[in-house]
Amino acid sequence: MITALIILFVLAAITSVLAYKKGDGSHRKGFKIAQKTLISMWPLLIIAFLMAGFIQVAIPPDLIRSWLGAEAGLRGVLIGSIAGALIPGGPYVAFPIIASVVNAGAGLGTAVSFITGWAMLGMGAIPFELAIIGSRFMFLRLALVLIIPPLSGIIVNLIP
Amino acid sequence: MAKRQLIWRYFLPKIKEKNRKWRIQCRLEEKWLVTCRRFRGRKEMKNNIIIMTTVTIILAVFGVVQQGPSVITAGIIAGAKMLIQVIPLLAAAFVLAGMIQVLISKELINKWLGKDAGLKGILLGAVAGALIPGGPYVFYPIAASFLLSGAEIGAVLAFVVAKNLWTISRLPMEVALMGPRLTAIRYIVTFVFPILVGLIANLFFRNYGERVTEQIKLMQTVGDKK
Repeated sequence: MITALIILFVLAAITSVLAYKKGDGSHRKGFKIAQKTLISMWPLLIIAFLMAGFIQVAIPPDLIRSWLGAEAGLRGVLIGSIAGALIPGGPYVAFPIIASVVNAGAGLGTAVSFITGWAMLGMGAIPFELAIIGSRFMFLRLALVLIIPPLSGIIVNLIP
Repeated sequence: MAKRQLIWRYFLPKIKEKNRKWRIQCRLEEKWLVTCRRFRGRKEMKNNIIIMTTVTIILAVFGVVQQGPSVITAGIIAGAKMLIQVIPLLAAAFVLAGMIQVLISKELINKWLGKDAGLKGILLGAVAGALIPGGPYVFYPIAASFLLSGAEIGAVLAFVVAKNLWTISRLPMEVALMGPRLTAIRYIVTFVFPILVGLIANLFFRNYGERVTEQIKLMQTVGDKK
């Protein structure tokens, strides 16, 4: 979290200085665009955060754990992808849950599809996607990546 | 109750009338274009708000049924906590997204992420996605700014998918909790997907990509001054 913050602030500072150096008021224009985007989006962003919060509390980790158990094979891969998609939040929330499932004896393919499902289809990111970049992008992305979590699990299971 | 109904009876026809007027003028007159875009942008925003509020309410009801009414306060607190934690990140991300749009000229982005870039654009987008830290509230504004500056849909999708799959900032945590073997297997197996998704998007969804950009433009017109 802190490293992300530092890196982003450094990037924002560098780009701002570069824009200032251009000498044509680009930096002011950049800030204006940022401000405009924020003004356009703040109601959606607030709802997005609220939605993310409810996703976090409405779906208890135990529910997901009890689903997965020690499933393996194709069934495990499919359930893993769906359960992964249902895990909310960033890596600090998700990885401990995933680790507990893997340690409970889920197969390698199940674990991979679980992680991939969380990373690609994770419900925690959907509110922000909808709010910031729009439904069209979301549908296109979901349509293209929906198959990837189960597919990668199957590939892992095929490799001995 | 009666008073409220009265108010609605008074206002609703006026709102409807105004919407109808705008719709007609949108179709007929060129000079209304800016106002029309704002109008359509508002509509887009309204739809989004309705969808997201509905989903939130469904989630809340699901939570209440499962765990009792304390879920509602817990959900609001969790959301507010998240918001407060990421406000600095959010600010930095929006400034970065704004600066990207003024710094990178159309020609430059055309050359690196746009129509002339092809596979190079997809690879570049994927590498940028792997390197950028932060959650969805960080990389989606940046992805939107890429699209607004003229990047192609394949490059931007590669950026987002690579952020999901290749991201370096998550690597230490994944190795620590999942073990190096599982992490290595996962990275190797999923390595090709960002590029693949970008290629498929460029091949089959180029026109749809323009509609995606159009929608982002509309969504951001709400913040325009009159």
